[in-house]
Amino acid sequence: MPDLSVRLGPLRLEHPVINASGTMELFELVEVLGSSVIDDPPVAAYVPKTVTLERRAGNPAPRILETTGGMINAIGLPGPGLRAFIERELPRLLALSCPVIISIGGFSRREYTALAGGLKEALDRSAGGDWTGRVGLEVNISCPNVCSGCASIGGDPGETAEVVAAVRALWPGLLVAKLTPNVTDITAIGRAAAASGADALAAVNTFKGLVIDRETLKPYLGNVTGGLSGPAIKPLALRTVYELFAAVDVPIIGMGGVATVQDVVDFISCGATAVAVGSATFREPCLARALSEGLGRFLDGRGLALGGLRGTAHTRE
Amino acid sequence: MTSRPDRGSSAGRRRTVTGGPGPGLTGLSRSLGRVTAVRFLGSMVGLTVTVPGWRGAVPGQFALLQAEPSRCFLARALSVSDEAGEKVSFLIAPVGDGTRELCALRGGDRVWVLGPLGKGFDVDALVTGPERVVIVAGGAGVAPFPLLLSRLLVKYQAVSVGGTGGGRRTPVAGGPKVLVLLGFRDGAQSGCALPVQQAVSEMEEKGLRCRLEMAFEDGSRGPVEKATDLLDRHLRSGDRVAVCGPGAMAAAVWKVCRAVPDVETWFSLETNMACGVGSCHGCVLKLADGSDARVCHDGPVFAGKEVFGA
Ligand SMILES: Cc1cc2nc3c(=O)[nH]c(=O)nc-3n(C[C@H](O)[C@H](O)[C@H](O)COP(=O)(O)OP(=O)(O)OC[C@H]3O[C@@H](n4cnc5c(N)ncnc54)[C@H](O)[C@@H]3O)c2cc1C
Ligand SMILES: Cc1cc2nc3c(=O)[nH]c(=O)nc-3n(C[C@H](O)[C@H](O)[C@H](O)COP(=O)(O)O)c2cc1C
Ligand code: FES
Repeated sequence: MPDLSVRLGPLRLEHPVINASGTMELFELVEVLGSSVIDDPPVAAYVPKTVTLERRAGNPAPRILETTGGMINAIGLPGPGLRAFIERELPRLLALSCPVIISIGGFSRREYTALAGGLKEALDRSAGGDWTGRVGLEVNISCPNVCSGCASIGGDPGETAEVVAAVRALWPGLLVAKLTPNVTDITAIGRAAAASGADALAAVNTFKGLVIDRETLKPYLGNVTGGLSGPAIKPLALRTVYELFAAVDVPIIGMGGVATVQDVVDFISCGATAVAVGSATFREPCLARALSEGLGRFLDGRGLALGGLRGTAHTRE
Repeated sequence: MTSRPDRGSSAGRRRTVTGGPGPGLTGLSRSLGRVTAVRFLGSMVGLTVTVPGWRGAVPGQFALLQAEPSRCFLARALSVSDEAGEKVSFLIAPVGDGTRELCALRGGDRVWVLGPLGKGFDVDALVTGPERVVIVAGGAGVAPFPLLLSRLLVKYQAVSVGGTGGGRRTPVAGGPKVLVLLGFRDGAQSGCALPVQQAVSEMEEKGLRCRLEMAFEDGSRGPVEKATDLLDRHLRSGDRVAVCGPGAMAAAVWKVCRAVPDVETWFSLETNMACGVGSCHGCVLKLADGSDARVCHDGPVFAGKEVFGA
């Protein structure tokens, strides 16, 4: 196997394939796959579901539906809130053998700083020594399924810059800004985030969409609109990574429709340093590891190093 | 994890890069099963799949199935209908793309299976009630019950030879009694009752008291009635009831059951699913206390009280 390790700021990943936030509950998988899934996680870094400051119930059902080549969801960031996350989740996350990238979502700049500050304080207290090589932060400024905040921040370069700068001022570790594709020019948002101190960009979150209930002819989802994901969005997501790679110098975590080794190869070719698997983990929980192994075989077969693949789509021969 | 010996032949490598969800990839958690038998049961299909490494299910648990290759993105949730070692059976109603694809599989075809998943029926709680075990199913809701019946048979046989030392309140005291009430839209739909009928006959052959009644909504075989009408007629205080069927039927069954004292109920429920393992939070159901349960992880079997309240 070639060396597949990559760096995202201070984090070292054994290989470039991780999970997308909100698509893998690693600790629930133990019931189905046994404790090996914790001892040897199928992802190079684990990204838990976005954490919010307060407890949230999430959106009314139905929340999901399969669509052509993918699915639509309006989950709505349900969760127990920061305090319960710190008490119940953080200890077992710190015990994992792979790095963790904690995703936070807020409705105002103050909420993002409260989340980042609360996590830093908890880590300083409980992680023992320098934890910045083990824990990173992803600011989700791109969830399309909550009625205010989040995506409206990520839709505006000025607000993006403010939130990222405010979190940067108090967060010493890896800082990732997760972008929404539901904007006219994603490079403007990506540049604002990078200039304000983001160490990396995650691209992209889901595409805002809608499905009609074929019986009632009304919107099907409880939240009316939802976010489209899966192979159907891959060319759209690839385009965002391609554009961002040309626009910023920070590493990019590419995602959107990754389901096969070729998808991983395509995202890295467009400039991604790491690749996240989202909806496709729903049919195969250990897909990320299988794809990284497949990537190794691909590179072997082509006689390429991982670094030699990155960004190749941008060079003309 | 980076040192797997099998790097694959060049043909294997090509398949890995361009292939669909799985073939050629290693270290997967789904099993690629093979269809070993197909039964046409009226409007439904009984599919038996040999699943390498199958762990054995609790009745009411389900698996996620996806044909290989498949036009669908996600796998579909199906109750485990019966099992014998690695041979696992499902009863499938072709209602949309995913289930139609599965119903079109033939012997030797490949199918991805992840499971068993979720929380099934508590067989001990069912058999230790003071009265009968009553099974109520509507349409495709018959699916989990051949397996439940065969587990009840094992339980009762163990008790009747004094195997469990359960004291005086063993269900066998007055002879085991199982009542199976099935409701169907029409005759074609009732084809899927066959595996249940066979399980019931087997119980009778083993000397256990088990009775089956069917209701037809179109009146094609007797009076126009539903499974809930049968239940209304038969339900007694002390019965323990296992239910699977459409949402409206489940609510109607609950209404019948709550009117009779000392009746406990368990419902196998359905919502749209993506992951089946608790990861996506997509399959939520509002419980009586206002909380959201993930049907795949907290269910699919729930106590009636949890779902409908007191
Ligand atoms: C735990 C569990 C166990 C199950 N066990 C069984 C079983 O043993 N046997 C069995 O036959 N089935 C079972 N089911 C149901 C089965 O999973 C579904 O029938 C299956 O997922 C349908 O997939 P499909 O692609 O065939 O249909 P789809 O086309 O996906 O349709 C699925 C449902 O969504 C609705 N729907 C889809 N799109 C729309 C739209 N645009 N507007 C309105 N409604 C829409 C359909 O009406 C249908 O009810 C079970 C479900 C669960 C959750
Ligand atoms: C069910 C579901 C839940 C999601 N929840 C989150 C979330 O909590 N936070 C987040 O940043 N992104 C969330 N996402 C978006 C994914 O992380 C990812 O960006 C998107 O789905 C595109 O990748 P995919 O096509 O591989 O799924 C969610 C996506 C899905 C399908
Ligand atoms: S189907 Fe994903 S949480 Fe239940």
